[in-house]
Amino acid sequence: MNLNLKAEKDQTYDAIVVGSGMTGGWAAKELAEKGLRVLVLERGYELKHVEDYKTAFKDPWEFEHRGKISIVAAEEHYATMYFSAKEGSQYLYTNDKENPYVQKRPFNWIRAYHTGGKSLLWGKHTYRWNQEDFLANAKEGLGVDWPIRYDELVPWYKYVEKFVGISGQPEGLAVLPDSTFLPPMAMTAPEVHLKNSVAQKLNRPITIGRVAHLTKPQPWHSAVGRATCQFRNRCSRGCPFGAYFSSLAATLPAARQTNRVTLVHNAIVKEIILDDKAQKAKGVRVIDQNTMEVREFYAKVIFLNAGTIGSTSILMNSKSARFPNGLGNDSDQLGRNLMDHHLAIGARGDIDGFDDDYFFGARPGSLYIPRFRNWGNDKRGYLRGFGYQGGATRADWSRGATETGFGSDFKKKMTQPGPWKINLSGFGEVLPNPNNRFTLSEDQKDKWGLPQVVFDADFGENERAMRKDIMNDGAEMLEAAGFKNVVAYDNPVAHMGLGIHEMGTARMGKDPKTSILNKFNQVHTCKNVFVTDGSAMASASNVNPSLTYMALTARAANHAVEQLKARNL
Amino acid sequence: MNRREAVTQVAWILGGVFSAPTLQAMSRWEQLASTETGSSKPGSFLTETQHAIMGRVAELIIPRTNASGVDSPGVDSPGALDVGVPDFMEVMLRDCYGKPAQDLFLTGVGELERKGFLTLSPDQQTAMLTQIEADAQKNSNPSFWLISKELTLLGYFTSEMGIKASFDYQPIPGRFEAIKIKPGQKDFMYGNQA
Ligand SMILES: Cc1cc2nc3c(=O)[nH]c(=O)nc-3n(C[C@H](O)[C@H](O)[C@H](O)COP(=O)(O)OP(=O)(O)OC[C@H]3O[C@@H](n4cnc5c(N)ncnc54)[C@H](O)[C@@H]3O)c2cc1C
Ligand code: SF4
Repeated sequence: MNLNLKAEKDQTYDAIVVGSGMTGGWAAKELAEKGLRVLVLERGYELKHVEDYKTAFKDPWEFEHRGKISIVAAEEHYATMYFSAKEGSQYLYTNDKENPYVQKRPFNWIRAYHTGGKSLLWGKHTYRWNQEDFLANAKEGLGVDWPIRYDELVPWYKYVEKFVGISGQPEGLAVLPDSTFLPPMAMTAPEVHLKNSVAQKLNRPITIGRVAHLTKPQPWHSAVGRATCQFRNRCSRGCPFGAYFSSLAATLPAARQTNRVTLVHNAIVKEIILDDKAQKAKGVRVIDQNTMEVREFYAKVIFLNAGTIGSTSILMNSKSARFPNGLGNDSDQLGRNLMDHHLAIGARGDIDGFDDDYFFGARPGSLYIPRFRNWGNDKRGYLRGFGYQGGATRADWSRGATETGFGSDFKKKMTQPGPWKINLSGFGEVLPNPNNRFTLSEDQKDKWGLPQVVFDADFGENERAMRKDIMNDGAEMLEAAGFKNVVAYDNPVAHMGLGIHEMGTARMGKDPKTSILNKFNQVHTCKNVFVTDGSAMASASNVNPSLTYMALTARAANHAVEQLKARNL
Repeated sequence: MNRREAVTQVAWILGGVFSAPTLQAMSRWEQLASTETGSSKPGSFLTETQHAIMGRVAELIIPRTNASGVDSPGVDSPGALDVGVPDFMEVMLRDCYGKPAQDLFLTGVGELERKGFLTLSPDQQTAMLTQIEADAQKNSNPSFWLISKELTLLGYFTSEMGIKASFDYQPIPGRFEAIKIKPGQKDFMYGNQA
């Protein structure tokens, strides 16, 4: 008995953060900087910043398959083929074979189970949501109204942007509010041409992509050991310069500097332990991924940052007399309204001329074309909008495989840059739909005995209607700029998950009858549990979501500490 | 959705970055569960003669050249053989290409073997490959020629000697800026494809 009490005391912290990825890193940093003793539980293995980026400095010839993925690796990473089909980066992607899930309807679940989570994989595009993004549900009577508005998030956007370090160009657009920026990256000559032509002929602005790269590090970036971007674009193998924002390079080091953070790896959080009497969570139950040993940890507040599907699964798994359908799930909204962005659609083309124009360096970013549909006076037959990411580059030697010829002239030709090509890839908003959901399997388990996730979601009529415009508008812009061989493409079987922006499934809202979380990301009916990753989103916008998750996390952490101080938790 | 559809999708998304043989190779996923790969060593995929034939084919695609760009033993720029393309082809065919592509490839080499490729004069060899290329162009299916060419280019232009002889290799550029280049100027290589 005594022993147990001592053990319980040893395993007790002020706060537990589940997951060390994009949002977990922020939760850990904020809670610790505000004085809490924080335990971070990470299900994956330990990955150390710099020293574990084993492929980061490899030259092309050091890869056995010169970057191509082997058949064996492709089998293990089938969900992530699109992104991980590279020899240098596959180590950062979770092995799908060992971590199976069920697809009632097709869904690619792309995961990164290790320190830093998907913050090591992301494309770093960072955009604020706009005013309308937080109003659209209410105006259109879809999903639930957001319990917060853009203005409430602005101070938190500013706060995280400063620490993250975002390169970009202010444009003063309502549709794409400016962030606090570091210097923007350059555009190539055909990109400048496209920007000018589209502005003139179609009155649509194009800006340089806003990406979380340090183009000019500030003292607070240097303080955690981050340096200037070197423009090698080998980010997908991990950045030894800490030049792109990841929790490994930025938030976790800051959290550690407080000396109040403990990070435990291989700790799969299975469920939240409820104190039935107090109607509060008292801790979490964890399975060691290697030894299968089950342990418990206790805290006053719990932050779920296990990624949208991960966090919601933990809530679903946390069943009790009070919550037979999962923690906080009186509304039956848990797992519903699964959203993503739809992509794999756009336009591409070639352009003559610009023969003496080139660029030096490998830019880890692209152009950005903000939403212009259903905006201002534009009204379409579908709801919401889309944007594009893309850019122009010159074809390299690999064009030779499909060009005729061989021999010495051919060889020489391949050592010179080829024609300019451009691609505009659309990112469309997906509407909240209660029938797009995931559940936990009743009979299929993973190797830790946890129920497998069952995906059952697809794009609907609205998304399909929007796709037509994404193709046509992309082609129209390229044609306006005089590009040739313009091809508008659509992947007829593009499906959910490929956008890797999973959102929804434990949405925020004003009413506990129709939502899981309140305006501070607290479970309505279990206030010391906070969920601050993509699970919380009530709608999806069409811009990349991670900046908004980070802002929400910092805001929620602030609220949690205030509430703790006020003894409300 | 089965794996083959998944692959087709990926191809769509990448907008033609993968060549047909690579795609076909990947479509072998479904058979994978029952077979194993990676047990053979490079050198065991082709017979010695076939290995020599592919060496010759690769060298005709990317020959060793001198400064004036002519085939020559006075090396300025190495050729496919210098950088070991035939061994590389074997590793790639074994690990990254599926059975259908492997079969296609083996049939192609077998054909060249039957026609006594190695005993032909360089001009005859070039003429034969020109014909094979023209035939391959007639349909969009993967072909022996496309696989050979793709692997030769990949093996050569990502090898240390090939890169250093062909490009301005910049592993750490340090900046990104729009610039002007002169006609005939070498391409840059940043080594970020892997
Ligand atoms: C290739 C790629 C490109 C992307 N590009 C962009 C982009 O340009 N812009 C953008 O905004 N977003 C982008 N994203 C999405 C972005 O990465 C995610 O939105 C973001 O990482 C989500 O943060 P998170 O904290 O919710 O999850 P993650 O960063 O994935 O972190 C979750 C962590 O929780 C851990 N975990 C999971 N389950 C448990 C458990 N049961 N117990 C303990 N730990 C657990 C995981 O191992 C992981 O470390 C991209 C993603 C990918 C894969
Ligand atoms: S391009 Fe910049 S962020 Fe990416 S790996 Fe290189 S230095 Fe790091």
